[in-house]
Amino acid sequence: MAKEYTPGDSVPLPPKNAEKLATCCDYCIVACGYHVYRWPTSAPDGGPEADKNAFGEDFPTAMLKSWVAPTQHNVVMHKGRPHNVVIIPDKQSKVVNIGGDSSIRGGTIAQKCFNPDSPTKDRLTQPLMRINGVLQPVSWDLALDVAAGIGKYVVKRHGANAYSVKQYSYQFVENTYAISKFAKRHIRTAAFTFHDTPSDVTSTPGFRDAGFDNFAPSYKDWGDADVLMICGTDPYETKTILFTQFIRPAIDKGMKTIWLNPRETAGLAYAKSRGALHIQLYPGTDTVVLGAISRVILENGWEDKEWISKWVNNMWESSSGFGQGTRNTPWQWRTTWGKFQTDGVYGEKGYKQWLMSQKEYEPETAAALAGIPAEQIYRAAEWLTGGGKGERPKASFGIEKGFYWSNNTGNTNAISSLATVCGAGGRPGRMVGRFGGHQRGGTGGGKYPRNKSPEKVPGRRRRALDTDRWLVSGHTRLAHVVGTTWIQAMCGSDGLAEKFEELVVNNPHQMYSKDKGSMIATLQKRVDTGGMVVLDQDIYLRDPIGSRYADIIFPAATWGEEDFVRSNGERRIRLYSRFYDPPGEAKPDWWIIAQLGKRMGFDGFDWKDSNEVCEESSRFSRGNRKAYHMVKVAAHKEGKTLHQKLREMGTEGIQGPTFYNHATGELHGTERLHDTTLTEADLKRKGMYAGGNMLNKKTTHFNTQTGRVNIQKHPWSLFSDYWSWMRPKEGELWHTNGRINEVWQSGFDDLERRPYIARRWPENFVEIHPDDAAAREIESGDWVLMYSNRVPYHVHTIKGVEGDDFQFSELMKNGHIKLGKGAAKAIAIVTPAVKKGVMYSYFLSPGKGQASNALQGRVVDNISGNYNYKLGVARVKKIGESQYKKEFVHMSFAPRNIV
Amino acid sequence: MTTPVETIEKDKECPARQPGCMMTRRTFLMTGSAAAVSVSTISLSLFPGSAVQAEVVTYPRRRIARLSELNDDEPVDFNYPDSGANSAAMLVKMGGIKGGGGIGPRGDVVAFSYVCSHQGGPLQGQYKVAGNHRVLGQCPLHLSTFDLTRHGIVVSGQAYESLPQVLLELDGDDIHAVGIMGLLYGRAQNVIDSREG
Repeated sequence: MAKEYTPGDSVPLPPKNAEKLATCCDYCIVACGYHVYRWPTSAPDGGPEADKNAFGEDFPTAMLKSWVAPTQHNVVMHKGRPHNVVIIPDKQSKVVNIGGDSSIRGGTIAQKCFNPDSPTKDRLTQPLMRINGVLQPVSWDLALDVAAGIGKYVVKRHGANAYSVKQYSYQFVENTYAISKFAKRHIRTAAFTFHDTPSDVTSTPGFRDAGFDNFAPSYKDWGDADVLMICGTDPYETKTILFTQFIRPAIDKGMKTIWLNPRETAGLAYAKSRGALHIQLYPGTDTVVLGAISRVILENGWEDKEWISKWVNNMWESSSGFGQGTRNTPWQWRTTWGKFQTDGVYGEKGYKQWLMSQKEYEPETAAALAGIPAEQIYRAAEWLTGGGKGERPKASFGIEKGFYWSNNTGNTNAISSLATVCGAGGRPGRMVGRFGGHQRGGTGGGKYPRNKSPEKVPGRRRRALDTDRWLVSGHTRLAHVVGTTWIQAMCGSDGLAEKFEELVVNNPHQMYSKDKGSMIATLQKRVDTGGMVVLDQDIYLRDPIGSRYADIIFPAATWGEEDFVRSNGERRIRLYSRFYDPPGEAKPDWWIIAQLGKRMGFDGFDWKDSNEVCEESSRFSRGNRKAYHMVKVAAHKEGKTLHQKLREMGTEGIQGPTFYNHATGELHGTERLHDTTLTEADLKRKGMYAGGNMLNKKTTHFNTQTGRVNIQKHPWSLFSDYWSWMRPKEGELWHTNGRINEVWQSGFDDLERRPYIARRWPENFVEIHPDDAAAREIESGDWVLMYSNRVPYHVHTIKGVEGDDFQFSELMKNGHIKLGKGAAKAIAIVTPAVKKGVMYSYFLSPGKGQASNALQGRVVDNISGNYNYKLGVARVKKIGESQYKKEFVHMSFAPRNIV
Repeated sequence: MTTPVETIEKDKECPARQPGCMMTRRTFLMTGSAAAVSVSTISLSLFPGSAVQAEVVTYPRRRIARLSELNDDEPVDFNYPDSGANSAAMLVKMGGIKGGGGIGPRGDVVAFSYVCSHQGGPLQGQYKVAGNHRVLGQCPLHLSTFDLTRHGIVVSGQAYESLPQVLLELDGDDIHAVGIMGLLYGRAQNVIDSREG
């Protein structure tokens, strides 16, 4: 647990000769550039005069200049000797965090470094095995030999799909490449997925089918719009620096903003004070609101006709590759029954005709469903298009989890279509994309073996295996978990935990000796009797996956402890420098995987260092949005390694995909994808047509069968049965959850190990509207219990045959849905900032309590296979007063939307 | 009813229960800079079980206002611990809303730095009353807000720490500033040693 926060009142300054290393923040997608200043503790600190410190500044410094907060200093071991480190934003930065801006998370990232005198002292430092029920330190050799032994056995005896791999998707390309090479190229398991989804599927099906890359825009595009629609997030809370450096300055200069969000926080409140339109809707109703806005636009003829005629697929283009031949594109199988496909915007089978025929997109009906004034729909339509008057404004559209995780397919289809009729998607300041969550650090080391997935949606195609349901059905015999909690991070998490308990803890075959052979034999008996073995790689002992379920734990080295590469939300690729020693015997995940791979008899795991892994992985990045292969080509030409070349680029890095002009020897990045304004000459200048450069569709066109946008329908009926079933009944309220600024993509450090953050959020909270609170006699500071006895779990792995087999009402009818219970404790914050009838809490739990994800339904979107994590209901009651209600130290009940 | 009185206990040494503090202190002493300033940890307690630890240096004791001259929710400006860079601070009587570290018969008189602990933005003119809440912000630079009833904790925003709180003592009608909890933005130490350099 975090110790009590003690505000410091002095800080050592780095001396003039301190070493300076470039890195980026480890947390959110924005990935601000940072500098690490390092000097031995035996050497003198710097002084306040400009010629005596590394910043060249006289202290006290002025506003926005270099400064070191006490939370930005730490003492770490470097080459076995104690060193001071000061980690502050790069004040010279010209990109991302321009001028050295920083968030509350990155600003205090020095606290993340392992220091046994700090709350990081419980870092995992040795391999552990659970022997006689207790986790005990063992040698790397023993841990790896037993893991490889049982791994080989499971694959041989129970098949590759019995070996399930659940890994983070973002924690650096070297690691993700190694893990996925192991899982997909060698084990070849279909029971493979990432930390934030039950199966290896897209997060934004609508974007994918329309042809939009999630991260096509550059950060500058968000500020270059005249009107920006922001769905399901407040980018000030989550995306911080994107808001403070790009969106807010644009708002100050007159950019209009339209927000779809049931809740109001600081960024939204600021925007409202400058005239923003806040559409405060009920969770899950975005589709009808967006459809209604599109309908008003099309009815009035305000759409961008020129853009549509040039860039939207007509009936023949729309049908190409559809329903004929073996083009197994997602576009093809999803449209088998014409649910989404249109003949373009106009005509009998056009988008407009369809929209006009659906009652729920009639503005007054949509407004009633969403609980908003219909006037807002008309106003949004006018703002986004100029209402047929004067010059058409540049409109951009940004979305995030509150939006795409509440009606995954419907919402992402509806926003794609709205953006397209407004002429957005392929021009500067007129873009469509995700704002983003975690950073982008995935490079695939193998192909997902889709044909081995027993799960099949109606139609031709198999769907990636749902690893939660596979596990709950008892098919997983070995769960290999890398850097995720698995259980709390998924929905309806209580039911998942029960199954882990049954398969792992309650199985009689538990390791009891330190003899390798007998350990493997015991675990073999476990899996042969229907039980499951758990391997866990992580930096801390997670509860319960590590502390309660893992049989073997491998301690991982992480950010700052190894040279790693990753990109951010505008595809900016940078090197994250190693600047201190990993704790104890901790090793990077790529190394752990390599040792396991070799012991399991796989080839291609003989890397010497992380640069070698990175260099091997680069060719698998070709063609994707953060392709870094050409950086390697340039590096080798200059006699450098890939890591060396990236190190030279410092915090600026280069935006992917990258290109190398062999004639001029210049490397070129890509400002935005789908850039329809790029000319032939631009492409030639970047050397795109020569040796190794991979020019593909998304550079200048869209990711579809023709390179033009598919405008798609977004039938409410695919989702309305689930939504209506979920809708609060008798005393229930909507329960939605999400992230907060103070803990965003940083929970793996912040929740328990950042004393200041623990003071701010010692426990989970729930925002409740004053009317809902009064009816239940709840006040700010009260402990409340949110509880539900109707948390739906989809429990079976099934094959879809009929078109509606995965429709919620059919699943229910056919007995595939089980109703579970869920409960989570939280401290009430009574505030009108949340919509009446809706509760909002943090999605996990900062304290020791149950994750609020326990209340969200574990039923996947029937088209995409994603959970709609943001859609839940619960009753809420007061269970007492918290200690925080009347004290002056922890938490704060002041509203976040004060301007 | 008696108002709980805040006590300040200055320990001679950093207590052993604060190992992080020990390390900081050691580093501090080893470097030899500003060695004339003594470090100690104070314990502020209003109620049993709600003590706050603060690491402070020895500060000047300065009279900054008279209690009888303060009006509800009208901040008064002053400078502390000196009149140099980033010393701008505010003193306010929060209209009967008690705050951590508050003095006066209702415990509602508190003082804070005006310099945002994120990147030094000016917080003058940002005092807000919202029901029973008393907040300073949004900072014009990056929109951070601070809860003045809870030792300046971040309500929302990007600051790395709470807004530094100026510790107060009441002597008759005189309000004295006696210390600062937290490091002032832009400074490497709150009290600048005049002999340095």
